[in-house]
Amino acid sequence: MLEIKDKKDSEKEIYKLLHPIVKKWFKSKFKNFADAQRYAVLDVHARNNILVSSPTGSGKTLTAFLSILNELVDSSEKGILEDKVYCVYISPLKALNNDIFENLIKPLHEMEKIAGKDLGIRVAVRTGDTTASDKQKMLKNPPHILVTTPESLAIVLSSIKFRERFFNVEWVVIDEIHALVENKRGVHLSLSLERLQRLAKGMCRVGLSATVAPLEEVARFLVGEKRKCKVVDVQYLKKMDLKVLSPVDDLVNNSFEHINKSMYRLIDKLIQEHKTTLIFTNTRAATERVVHHLKDKFPENYYEIAENPPHIKSALIGAHHSSLSKEHRFEMEQKLRDGKMRAIVCSTSLELGLDIGSIDLVICLGSPKSVSRAIQRVGRSGHALHETAKGRFVVLERDDLVECSVLLKHAIEKKIDRVHIPTNCLDVLAQQILGIALEEVWDVGKLYRMIRRSYCFKSLKRQDFNDALDYLAGNFTTLEERYIYARIWWDKEENKMGKRGRMTRVIYMTNIGTIPDSEGIRVKFKGKKIGVIEEGFLEKLKRGDIFVLGGNTYQFNFARGMVAEVIPVSGKRPTVPAWYSERLPLSYDLASGILDFRQLMEEKFRKKVSKKEILKFVHKYLYVDEVAGEALYNYFKDQHDYIGIPHSKKLTVEHYSDETGRKYAVFHFLFGRRVNDALSRVLGYAILGSKHKTVEVGINDNGFYVAYDKSINVMEAFKLVKSKEFIKGLENAVDKSEVLKRRFRHCAGRSLMILRNYGGKRKRVGRQQVSSMILMSAVRRISNDFFILKEARREVIEDLMDVNNAFEILKKIERKDIKIKEVTTNVPSPFALNLILQGYSDILKMEDRQDFLKRMHQMVKAKIALKKSF
Amino acid sequence: MNIKENIEIKDLALYLPKEKVLIISDTHIGMDEALNKEGVLVPRFGFKDLKKRLEIILKDLEINTIVINGDLKHEFGIISNTEWSQTLELLEILENKCKDIILIRGNHDTILGPIAKKKNLKPRDFYKVGDILITHGNKIINEDAKSIIIGHEHPAVGLKEDSRVETYKCFLKGKFENKLLIVMPSFNLVTEGSNILREDILSPYLDQDLSKFEVFIVGEDVYDFGRVEDLE
Repeated sequence: MLEIKDKKDSEKEIYKLLHPIVKKWFKSKFKNFADAQRYAVLDVHARNNILVSSPTGSGKTLTAFLSILNELVDSSEKGILEDKVYCVYISPLKALNNDIFENLIKPLHEMEKIAGKDLGIRVAVRTGDTTASDKQKMLKNPPHILVTTPESLAIVLSSIKFRERFFNVEWVVIDEIHALVENKRGVHLSLSLERLQRLAKGMCRVGLSATVAPLEEVARFLVGEKRKCKVVDVQYLKKMDLKVLSPVDDLVNNSFEHINKSMYRLIDKLIQEHKTTLIFTNTRAATERVVHHLKDKFPENYYEIAENPPHIKSALIGAHHSSLSKEHRFEMEQKLRDGKMRAIVCSTSLELGLDIGSIDLVICLGSPKSVSRAIQRVGRSGHALHETAKGRFVVLERDDLVECSVLLKHAIEKKIDRVHIPTNCLDVLAQQILGIALEEVWDVGKLYRMIRRSYCFKSLKRQDFNDALDYLAGNFTTLEERYIYARIWWDKEENKMGKRGRMTRVIYMTNIGTIPDSEGIRVKFKGKKIGVIEEGFLEKLKRGDIFVLGGNTYQFNFARGMVAEVIPVSGKRPTVPAWYSERLPLSYDLASGILDFRQLMEEKFRKKVSKKEILKFVHKYLYVDEVAGEALYNYFKDQHDYIGIPHSKKLTVEHYSDETGRKYAVFHFLFGRRVNDALSRVLGYAILGSKHKTVEVGINDNGFYVAYDKSINVMEAFKLVKSKEFIKGLENAVDKSEVLKRRFRHCAGRSLMILRNYGGKRKRVGRQQVSSMILMSAVRRISNDFFILKEARREVIEDLMDVNNAFEILKKIERKDIKIKEVTTNVPSPFALNLILQGYSDILKMEDRQDFLKRMHQMVKAKIALKKSF
Repeated sequence: MNIKENIEIKDLALYLPKEKVLIISDTHIGMDEALNKEGVLVPRFGFKDLKKRLEIILKDLEINTIVINGDLKHEFGIISNTEWSQTLELLEILENKCKDIILIRGNHDTILGPIAKKKNLKPRDFYKVGDILITHGNKIINEDAKSIIIGHEHPAVGLKEDSRVETYKCFLKGKFENKLLIVMPSFNLVTEGSNILREDILSPYLDQDLSKFEVFIVGEDVYDFGRVEDLE
């Protein structure tokens, strides 16, 4: 069904197709067709489904629009332009007005100028921000090209009047499809596309993607089951100039302060050598920090004082991340386009294709964690097609150095990590079925068949589908109370279903979407805002706890809704470690690459290859410079000489005790945190299975550890973790976790069991959190497999964690394809150090509430008795 | 368990054996319905749970008077059909077990009038049993008493071990202006209440240092957890 198209069409053929006006316009703007256009324009014209993968700035958007504009101009000239939507253009970005202006409206104006008249071609943008009067206008005079987001598309599909405008849509264009496939927005969109296709049988699907792999799978996502698709890959065209840079020669023996200072000097130097630099930091806090430090340390470089009075001082550097106001972000983007900035610092927010003008250098502080993300980021520089994209990865510690070096190799060799596309998401399914019920009365069998044509639901079980209907029909409650919960009716005899309830349409329209609300907890001192912490972090705080925020320490006083009141306490030691719930995880494929590199290095050390030869190998294999090569060599040599280098065929478990006698079993399992999270939880659960107590489990991308005070035979427990019962074991382990609670709220929101908007009011996240806990315990009483609970569990183990690869690794261990070596150390080995220092930990629970209470009571009683005896 | 001489903890209620008085507080009938109205579609177990738990307490006790110490129902302002019928049902269950029902007005009970009238009850601000003053706790009552029993706060404590936190309903025992002060947990089974170690305090009776207050957690049994300061 898929066809890789690897031959360009001739320019002549493409020109032959173009209407004279379009042809003239094109020639006035461009010398020749870009590669993406040579591959795809003819197919888009012929209404063939096609996925085009090419770098940002390669004329991708115009590739899709050229044929479509051509058709519209041609029809207009012939006087046969109909009052209908010809093309639906979908982008994940809400703020796309500027891009659309550049790629669609401006070309259209220019063509009209050439034609010497108004061609009557209408383009309209419909997003959550579109006013009611504009929506009315669209209904009266439908746009020929409708520009929209996945969420707004789902709304118009359920709008009885607007739906009619979709009969006979000829093209749907999905831009930045790579940003959608990996999350529930994409899953949601995949069903909207099926709904759209039902209205417009002959519609062709055009997908535009940045670097992504495997392209075949993304193509299947684009077209759904049993449809043809052509696949065009022009991503190899853009030239890349990539380097890993370390601010100091030696990352071990220098103080943190020194490394930090050198890093800012290095960043400043890079910025000064370029015109405009884009910096990625991964976290919002780091974004603020970098901007602050650069301004503070090099004020002469980052402020400009106007020559004319009143000599206004303006900054040449700024921050851009999702917690900043919309106005601030727009201002930054505009200043970038106007070429008024030397540097912009963002967490991840500028990864997507927002037009930000000309960037000539991208700096990544810390690893981007996946090759496709790295290429996407670096691709933001050298925006014009034939320019070279320039990226610098600045590393601050040795694990980062290894990771970025292997990442560099993969990027240069175009080894792109594979995406994970979520499937059978029941919350999204329920939401979409409700939207479908708003259209008309449906035959349930037909509905099931339509849903299974989406790639994301191709293996949807009939039982799960029925559960979704039962849930929406409120069949989990008594007949008398059903009216409260039911949104649809389902006649099982006739096998028909349709909408139920007066409020249902409003509820659907105002609560649609898959992105959960998250606003964070505002931290305040005497009413003054200090910063924001995550809600998961607040759950762990009690009065008197001391924590770090923005470089200062604060004592927690109390919480009221979404506000945490604190008292500044300078110089006190934090009692609660910093906590980040969901950092970017290292991609599994990149992790495998690092393990392979480790194996090659281990072999060289084992065979006593000379240092010179090893350095030569490192340089050739990883494309890194001498300084980085030397640092890598030293890191691996230290590890090799101490306990040996764990790698893809031989993993190591390192046992050691700290000065307090606390014991650690460090699993050197470099599989990325998604896999490690799954493995470590099941192990923790196995340990708890025999003894009623808690153990601490810490994980990061490079491995995990189990820490405990009393004697536990961790390896015996690990042997109990079998691939056969692994999935069940993981489900049990996750069942009582904090992360399940958080994800449950999101899933309940998507399933419309917790409504963000209701009765004209918008609910705060804090209220949603409180009520989701009540909801969770209530549905558990109905069934531990209640629809939403089941989905939350699936999301945690399949999407947040990587149950499949964890399962495969266990099988390899059982088959002895991977061997495990145990060592005991007095001081943690170099590879173990970061893991113990930074591993994010979640304590595992096993006891039920009543047992926990009884045990805590014994402890408190003992404590009191002890106090009294003094 | 005796929280004080002649004051016994019976699950989430208090019992004064000498006068045969049972006190329950903050039942908040209709809370799940109110959640539904806010757009949280919680299945409604609250009232069924409440009846079941209450009946276990009522079964073995000899009772003359039952005191409902405020916030009988949840919604301010309006009475829904469900609330109306459930509140009447609860009052009927209680009627069958005692001679007198005393209804104390809570801050949620702004429009208890019609229901109370139907049952010939008169909501009042406090009730005295000997030298014990029973009042909801949203405002200070100036009455002579040796002991004060309040509700309103819905006290609970979060027990923490490493990163695990579990919240349990509890009684608190401390002092208010040299009088003994007992704070009752809510008899509402939809929520655990508010964690006094963490959350903001509501009652003017508790606008003071709580670290010396004693904590009695209600689980399957009642557990003496020492003082608040021992848990912090």
